[in-house]
Amino acid sequence: MGIFSFLFKKQKMIETLIYTYLDNISLAEDNFLKAFDVYFEKGKCSKEFDLLTAETHKAESNSDDIRLEIETLMYAKALIPESREDILELLESIDMIPNCCQRILYMIQTQNLIIPSFLYTDMKELIKISLESCLLVRGEVKALFEEQKKLQKLTIAIDQNESRCDQIERRLISRLFDSDLDIYQKILIKELILEMGDITDRTNRVSRQINIISIKRRV
Amino acid sequence: MHYLLSGIFLGWSLGANDAANLFGSAVTSKMLKFRTAAILGAIFVLLGAIWQGQAGIETIKGLTLLNLKLATISSIAAALAVTVMTFCRLPISTSQAVVGAIVGIGLIKGQLYLGGLGKVVVCWFGTPIGGLLVSVTLYRVLGVIYNRLGLNLFQGDIFLRLGLIISGCYCAYALGANNVANVTAVFVGAGLLSILAASIIGGLSIGLGIITYSKGVMETVGSRLVKLDAFSALVVVLSGAITVHFFTIVGVPVSASQAVIGAVLGVGIVKSISTIRRQTLGAIAIGWFMTPIVAAFFSLILYFIFQT
Repeated sequence: MGIFSFLFKKQKMIETLIYTYLDNISLAEDNFLKAFDVYFEKGKCSKEFDLLTAETHKAESNSDDIRLEIETLMYAKALIPESREDILELLESIDMIPNCCQRILYMIQTQNLIIPSFLYTDMKELIKISLESCLLVRGEVKALFEEQKKLQKLTIAIDQNESRCDQIERRLISRLFDSDLDIYQKILIKELILEMGDITDRTNRVSRQINIISIKRRV
Repeated sequence: MHYLLSGIFLGWSLGANDAANLFGSAVTSKMLKFRTAAILGAIFVLLGAIWQGQAGIETIKGLTLLNLKLATISSIAAALAVTVMTFCRLPISTSQAVVGAIVGIGLIKGQLYLGGLGKVVVCWFGTPIGGLLVSVTLYRVLGVIYNRLGLNLFQGDIFLRLGLIISGCYCAYALGANNVANVTAVFVGAGLLSILAASIIGGLSIGLGIITYSKGVMETVGSRLVKLDAFSALVVVLSGAITVHFFTIVGVPVSASQAVIGAVLGVGIVKSISTIRRQTLGAIAIGWFMTPIVAAFFSLILYFIFQT
């Protein structure tokens, strides 16, 4: 491709920006996990939790800026139209994941939610599996751009994670409503659980989207 | 030399109209800047005209004996036919217009070589059919190769973009080699130009049309082609080029647009989708049938005007 490299300079820039975007999302997810660790340790919101919530927001906001940069570059004559459309739609879907993480932290922070300790173990597992799915999705995006053979394995793993999270989500809600907590608190915590379960739903949606993009490219 | 102006005008309008077949999809989808596409197109048209334009020139000049005045009349008649058909929004073939105009003059003079004409008409039928057959074959063969390569998204993108640019250049080369005869062959028959000079002047006038006036047509036609996916667009452009190049070797000027339309239909057959509306097909059929008749009619009128 040497002599034609001038034609694909923008493509290379997009590739680099997408990887930077994924790194930023990874950072948002790391902060999300740390915020929950702090919360579980202290059993309530704290300054450290607020700081990590702000860090999560910052990383999410940075990834939005990078996405905008990618969009601008795409419309400046880079890639074929189908690729442009697919990548833009994919980034939009991926963006929902850190948004979801941010929303969960804001829910806890703004509503000053007190999560009952008997839910901690299941919640920790839910977060662990959800973030594992996020990692797998990033792997899928990389596979789409590097080696598509790896996609199938990752898709199966993400799908399995979603099923596991659905089970945990149902278990958490059952345990919550079996408890003696105040009904208002139950409703608030239920909303939080549903929002947490939404992370794997979104990763699964992105995973399916990636598969469709890959299949579309077969003649 | 002013006699040549009608030919140059014809070449210019041919370049302006046919450039869309070469780089329409690449430019409309912003894969390639118009300026780059136009320059590439003009260069390869000129190369094709100089390198392989002779066979078509021999065929066209062999259809009838024309003096300089008659050559000019036929050239103006063809240009008028192209203009009128374009005005009526009917798809035109410059090759058909040129041959129709020559046939009109040949009929009056009673100097028509039917053997050569038969070959030309057979090739007219063969152009869309050839485009269709090549695209069906190419889609399947290239499809298997493309799938086996197992390219990732970016590699696939590079493959298709490069493919569209290279096949666009090849199509420009085939267009120059095939259609230069439409522009200047009559002047070779009339003894005004040598074959090499005719190739250079013809190639330059087509190239000029591409550079100066093809942007609008490219965007209109290209936006229709770009509705196909990039792989199909690549197959269409490449099939059009192969078909036109084949008829260049046979030595008959044909329509690049008709080859491309055949190729689009071929892709539709492979994918079991409707790529061209019935209404458009009807217009193409009318254009295909009417262009030589209209050109012959104009050459008759012009002949009588100049005689009186």
